[in-house]
Amino acid sequence: MLYLQVAANGLVLGGLYACIAVGFSLVWGVLNVINILHGSFIVLGSYLALFAYQVLGLHPFLAILPVAAALYAVGHATQGLLVNRVIAAPVLMTLTLTFGLDLMLNNTMIVAFTADYRRLNLETPLGVLFLGDVVLPGDRVAAMALALLLTGGLWLLLRGTRLGRAVVAVRMDRDAAALMGVNVPRINAVTFGLGAAMAGAAGVLLALIFPVSPLNSGLFLGKAFTVCVLGGLGSVPGALVGGIALGLIESFGALWLGPEWAITISFMVLIAVLALRPDGLLGRRGYA
Amino acid sequence: MTTLPAFGRRSALGFAAAGLLAPLGAARGQQPTIRVGAPLPLTGPLAPEGIKQRNGYDFWAAAANARGGVDVAGTKHRVEIVYADYASNTPRAVQTAERLITQDRVNFLFSPFGSGAAKAASSVNERYGIPTIAATASSEQVYDQGYKFLFGTFTPNSTLTEPLAEIVTGANPQVRRVAVLARNDLFPLAIGQEMVASARKRNLQVVFDEKYAIGTMDHASAITQMRAQRPDWVFATGYTNDLILIRKQMADLGLRAPVVTMIAGPAYREFISATGRQAENITSAAWWHPAVRYQGQDLFGTTESFNQAWEQRFNAEPDYAEASAAAAGAILQMAVEAARTIEPAKVRDALAAMDATTFYGRVKFGPTGQITSLEPPVFQIQGGQPRVIFPQGIKQADLRFGVG
Repeated sequence: MLYLQVAANGLVLGGLYACIAVGFSLVWGVLNVINILHGSFIVLGSYLALFAYQVLGLHPFLAILPVAAALYAVGHATQGLLVNRVIAAPVLMTLTLTFGLDLMLNNTMIVAFTADYRRLNLETPLGVLFLGDVVLPGDRVAAMALALLLTGGLWLLLRGTRLGRAVVAVRMDRDAAALMGVNVPRINAVTFGLGAAMAGAAGVLLALIFPVSPLNSGLFLGKAFTVCVLGGLGSVPGALVGGIALGLIESFGALWLGPEWAITISFMVLIAVLALRPDGLLGRRGYA
Repeated sequence: MTTLPAFGRRSALGFAAAGLLAPLGAARGQQPTIRVGAPLPLTGPLAPEGIKQRNGYDFWAAAANARGGVDVAGTKHRVEIVYADYASNTPRAVQTAERLITQDRVNFLFSPFGSGAAKAASSVNERYGIPTIAATASSEQVYDQGYKFLFGTFTPNSTLTEPLAEIVTGANPQVRRVAVLARNDLFPLAIGQEMVASARKRNLQVVFDEKYAIGTMDHASAITQMRAQRPDWVFATGYTNDLILIRKQMADLGLRAPVVTMIAGPAYREFISATGRQAENITSAAWWHPAVRYQGQDLFGTTESFNQAWEQRFNAEPDYAEASAAAAGAILQMAVEAARTIEPAKVRDALAAMDATTFYGRVKFGPTGQITSLEPPVFQIQGGQPRVIFPQGIKQADLRFGVG
């Protein structure tokens, strides 16, 4: 019984982690940009959802699309105006640029919204689901569903649309894609925008679960990083598998060795994966 | 090597001369100042705490300056707080404290935030002989280093858990099984250990005693294990972020208990607004509460007048961290005025000899420099407000059981 509950905890936690990581994985996998802004994009999504609910009474589920659209615009502009200028430089350059932009965005949020922790408390909470004696919090199940939806949507987009094929083409060979008539800077901007939109969508649901504060962006970024390395880059389901693996490892680690070891164990597993399977659990070169 | 063009050289000389002459002008025409250094975490994860402290210091400095300044043997000295941000990074807090002393030439120092950073920085002010007041350090390990220049406005951690244990067991002898979940960090861990000690002293059964790492984003496993132990009393420690999440996950996973205590978070408004109805009946303890009532000899006078002035300026009730920071300033002022000089060693002696009542409570420091005279209030969130349930003299409500 205890094991079942802990497994359920791990699964829904994994869903959360996947939700956090999927946009980060896309940008890293396709553009080879380690987007340090990702955590702050999630937090910005949370704030937009919080204000939409408090001011307009808009339910977070209904806020997901508009918030994702707003973050898409922010992401598209960031890549189009700034990151594209250094995209061809070594990865450290784009990392430094997004690091600097993150400092600006994060501190702007601290000034604008204060660093106080808030939470989106629904008038009618999502409640909990019971599967026999196992309890599943509704908001985490919703986050897991969103992670599945985003992953599935991304898979379909990359496989079945012209835009998606262009994204994959840019990932495989930038120069060849350009020669085939793909507008590479535009595809880059679209990809970064999609990553930001996914962060925004995740942020909306995370506002129901975690305290909302600009200070949490570093925690989200750290998890996204771990999930991507664990799950592997270059594969759409990588973030999902990495997220669920991390959730289960942390939950059972906390059960067997005590909660203070949960994070240590997850990093030990990460190191082991890196040593044995450097491309991660599902990673492969290219992106499809 | 570069050479300055003639004009540039002259300007540089001019600036240097102006720089040399400026202090003379200051000495001739302006009021003397007392400079107090305050290394604070104004950015990074501890920024909310750092900002609270800055508000407290600013509030004191403004109040002192509005009265003409601090009276040093008949001469009024203006108060100037020199802030330095250490970005929530403890090693940098130590460097910042040293820089404030050696380069900014502050006369006195307020410690950085929390027990860990205050302890780390205390060796610096001790070396330079600068009297220092720690407004947010409670752990005894900060004060047991044999230092002479460090004073703290928080009583030891056991002064929070002992009255709590006394009240809970006194009101309900059915409370037998205690579960403790502590953040693995100097203060939250120390207070968790004090709770275990207070529980064992009363023959309560500690059925769960675990720590969680800093940066933990999920407490489901710990809460699931606690629930399996059916505790009567859940005692969780950490900071606001952790405790909001723990409370939410307790509700998600159906962990209910007659008594739920959380330290330190429920004293802050944002904890109550973020947790909403789930905050109801959570108990906590802090070193101060706006409901305490003292007739202070300090510049703020009574606790009521302090609260009133604070609310006027910040549009909100002061919490214990803010009050402690303002009290640190008021205490420093009383010591300087009693010493009739700003000479560090004499001010240090005045602090050590102090026995006075302030808006914050009675102030008397023990031989280690830590305050011994405060009686920290225990409170419970009732109707969305923290209501004092101990000490008897300022009690606003009776302890209620049941947190679901």
